[in-house]
Amino acid sequence: MKKFLSILLVFVFFSLFLTISSGTENKVEIWSWRSQDAEVWARVEKELNKRGIPVKIDFRPFVATEYDAKLMLALQGGTGPDIFYARRLPGGRTQAIIDAGFIEPLDGKIKFTYFSSTTLKSIRSGGKTYGVPFALQVVGIFYNKDIYDKFGLKEPQTWDELINNCEILKKNGITPFFIPGKEAWTLVMQHAMCGVSILGPEWIRDLINGRTNFLDPKFVDLNRRLNDLKKYYQDGFLGNAVTDQDAAFAFGQAAMVFSGIWGLQTWRQLNPKVNVGYFMVPPLTKDKKPYAYVYMDGAFALVKGAKNRDMALKVLEFTATPDFGTIFSNITYNIPAVLGAKVPSDPLLLEVLEVSKKHASPYVYWVGSVFVTQKPSLYDDILAPGMQAMYAGKITPEELAKMAQDGISQWYKPLMKKK
Amino acid sequence: MKIKWFDLLLFILPAFFLYTIFVVYPFISSIYLSLFNWVGVGAKKYVGLKNFFDVLFGSFKGEFFNAFGHNIYFFILVSIIEVSLGFIIALGLATQIKGYHIFRSIVYLPNVISMVLVGFIWGLILNPQIGLVNQFLKVIGLGSFTRPWLGDPSLAFNTIIAVNIWRHLGFYVLVMLAAIINIQPDFIEAAYIDGASNWDIVKNIIIPLTIPTAQTLILLLFIWSFSVFELVYALEGVQAGPFRSTDVLGTLFYRTAFGGLGSARMDLGLGAAIVTLMFIVILPISFIYVRLVERRRI
Repeated sequence: MKKFLSILLVFVFFSLFLTISSGTENKVEIWSWRSQDAEVWARVEKELNKRGIPVKIDFRPFVATEYDAKLMLALQGGTGPDIFYARRLPGGRTQAIIDAGFIEPLDGKIKFTYFSSTTLKSIRSGGKTYGVPFALQVVGIFYNKDIYDKFGLKEPQTWDELINNCEILKKNGITPFFIPGKEAWTLVMQHAMCGVSILGPEWIRDLINGRTNFLDPKFVDLNRRLNDLKKYYQDGFLGNAVTDQDAAFAFGQAAMVFSGIWGLQTWRQLNPKVNVGYFMVPPLTKDKKPYAYVYMDGAFALVKGAKNRDMALKVLEFTATPDFGTIFSNITYNIPAVLGAKVPSDPLLLEVLEVSKKHASPYVYWVGSVFVTQKPSLYDDILAPGMQAMYAGKITPEELAKMAQDGISQWYKPLMKKK
Repeated sequence: MKIKWFDLLLFILPAFFLYTIFVVYPFISSIYLSLFNWVGVGAKKYVGLKNFFDVLFGSFKGEFFNAFGHNIYFFILVSIIEVSLGFIIALGLATQIKGYHIFRSIVYLPNVISMVLVGFIWGLILNPQIGLVNQFLKVIGLGSFTRPWLGDPSLAFNTIIAVNIWRHLGFYVLVMLAAIINIQPDFIEAAYIDGASNWDIVKNIIIPLTIPTAQTLILLLFIWSFSVFELVYALEGVQAGPFRSTDVLGTLFYRTAFGGLGSARMDLGLGAAIVTLMFIVILPISFIYVRLVERRRI
């Protein structure tokens, strides 16, 4: 009996050890700033298991504002994940991780057949590819179709038509725009999406080349137009956050929002009946083409020396296929970066997808632009506090333009000569 | 009795060990780190005292002194209001009026709520559209006084201070109450017999005898004012908006050291320099203050 018990005990311990070790062996840890992707990874795990790959995905989302620091410290301390969401290039944070040698290049290990060269450019550095891009983001004006229909409004073709729509809505007691002004990054996004249509890509190209600068009357005029638009925002808009905006828009308390396609998932979760439409920020005149701000959001990167490198590579291989794109877009309503995916046959998503193909501005000054690669950055240091200051009436549109010129000309050579 | 030094050391050792690991070591490594540029990964770049120069005289000067000014303002306003209000309420409670037990519990209640929850609750209460404050003002016919309390740069920091006072007032009331109760009743009885009025007793007995407690509280407030962080973070986020109008050294350090979305710079070395400067400000002033108070007592 004693002998039997001993053998049983050894067997139990051995099985337990095998279970634990096999679990660890197949576990792939993924870190992200996008909590909305949890369901995506659960589905990916199921799909890979169905294909005979016994992976167990441990997805860990972090608060976006703290993600980069946590990731960097974990990588430095050797306690990082196997795969992580890397922000796009050019960008100081991902570049620093690449320079420190924490990301394994994926060339020759993953087939990038289903990606356009433009998409891959945003995760390439020194001729190497450092991740599998996951989403294209399209930003613009999202509107409540029911409210528009009620007042007989049409999607505006020019800025003046937009103002006219706002005026009609306001007269009828509807808040035209809901602005989450407490979160400064949303104001920069607003400026940038208006910039691509109102200033136009050619003007932004000239800015990048140093043929014009931020003191140009056109840039000041854009600041002034945005400042004038604030009378159509909800009262106390500088005290509202994105969560307030999502709730207000989903339940029809405001007619329009400046946002990205990523908002659709939240609005529909809050109110499945919300009828959302999209249009690009209209240009000043009808003869000008409207543009959308389109950018690659980020990529899945493989940590060099990952605990379960082989299994992580299998996960990444899958993320580079249209099947992943189909899962991703059906859950998140985001546009997958991978080509050939079956996006949901949602008219809005299809419209935005079409816009991303035909109207993407080739030159930009927010995410993905040269102006956010060094400090002071046009994003964090200039337009984020500057837009809040202008909306609060603390600085004028001219002063905002001067802030931009003074800040960027500190380090960006093409703008140094123009004072 | 002869002191057994070995036993004494044995008792001190665990605390000394923990103190060294969790206080001394991080502090020294923070000073060391302040001499480098480091984003958190890769090699650290030795820059000597450049981080301190940047913070005090260079490109980071504006952000640092803006936050530093807010800390000073926070200390002055909170000290005046919390200590004086704490004293007045404690005085009321010390009279042991009917139901004072319940009132004491109510005053202390916010102290037991976690700071993150305080931030969440007040975020809702101060919401410009659905918040209780603006709704109440509209109901009583003062709709013109509704404001985006956390979105107006001239109001946001004072609003945070008000929430902070709501959260901590109970502590100051309890401490002042203990100080008042500790005054020997004989003094007060004798004063009454001599014909002193209530105001005379407060002015000539209670206030002078509670001053040492108030001094200790002010010293604590000074130290806490320079480490204020959670409430600003919970109500305004790491960006300490609108446009840094609620920025304090704590949020500036956090934003600089740990970066993230909306942070102006990300450099652990620069963050460490801010922390070191905070220490340089707090330590000597605390010492001078303690010395001054002690000298006056002698």
